Amino acid sequence: MLESLNPQEGADRPSLGRDAGRADNVAPLADREVPLPGAELGSTPAAVHAWLDGEATESEARLADAKQVALWSRIADETSARRRMVTPAHVQASIMNALPAATPTLAKSVSAVAAPAAAATGMIALSPMTAVLAAAGLVAAGFLLARALG
Amino acid sequence: MRGYRSAVSNPETAVSTEVDSDQEIIGRVLAGDRDAFALLIGRYSDPLYRHALGMTGSPDVAEDILQTSFIKAYHHLGEVRGRFDAWLFRIVANGCKDWLKNIRRTHLSYDEDDQPSNYTTPDEDLDRTELRQDLDRALAELAPSLREAFVMKHVEGRSYEEMADLLGTTVGALKMRVHRAREALQALLEEKYA
Repeated sequence: MLESLNPQEGADRPSLGRDAGRADNVAPLADREVPLPGAELGSTPAAVHAWLDGEATESEARLADAKQVALWSRIADETSARRRMVTPAHVQASIMNALPAATPTLAKSVSAVAAPAAAATGMIALSPMTAVLAAAGLVAAGFLLARALG
Repeated sequence: MRGYRSAVSNPETAVSTEVDSDQEIIGRVLAGDRDAFALLIGRYSDPLYRHALGMTGSPDVAEDILQTSFIKAYHHLGEVRGRFDAWLFRIVANGCKDWLKNIRRTHLSYDEDDQPSNYTTPDEDLDRTELRQDLDRALAELAPSLREAFVMKHVEGRSYEEMADLLGTTVGALKMRVHRAREALQALLEEKYA
């Protein structure tokens, strides 16, 4: 299977386009809505969002809603503690131990990679030349069949 | 645009030769120096672990996703084009989304014991606070795209521009996701904490 590194879809599917892997094949609501300038989304004042985005001062946010600023200050303490977390010490060793012995190789050409992937999914991989020859053969067969019937 | 590693680990020092350094290490690995891959793990594991932990809420799952992602990256190292850090981030982010999708599909919920309880910090083991548990529960209520945006903005401390670069979307869309995540979290937490 081709490796999918598309951020919009899961890693277990081949990449066929930005939203190809989505179950409903549509962008999330948040992607399709654009906020109007100055518009508020819900109960949080725009000044509080601006403060949390680093675009306004805490005093400006406090003027808009002091209780929400207090809540987000507590949450910020917790999230900043999480920002200092590090990977447990044993993880690097376990990753290195789990690596295959074989050295990774440089990428093959697209067609060389795509053909096995197509075979694995039950699809038929055709080169352009093969497709043209197959089409010509079908036309010839149709012509002969028409002559035989006529 | 600041590099992913520099922006996360040290926002003040963006190193312009970082991509070259990664490419040099990748070249060594491809030439047969398997141990050189440990340099890439050491360089990027912390921010990626934090992302996986923020997305899944489980240290064990975050470790699994990290390990699987690095092994996948090793297998496909010869296919890296452009920035290795962004490529690696997408592998981890996709691993998190797949895990969340499977959890929802099978209607599993992770146990209380599987919640983050032993965060490791450089200088202390933090006590498990009530707010931490409530924040974890609230984050688990969010849609994956909103959780991802909130974690990247507020837990990982990234700029909107960097998030847009890594996720392949627009700053406006990400601002909207973060704002929606805040609204949802606030609705879940404000009665108890505001």
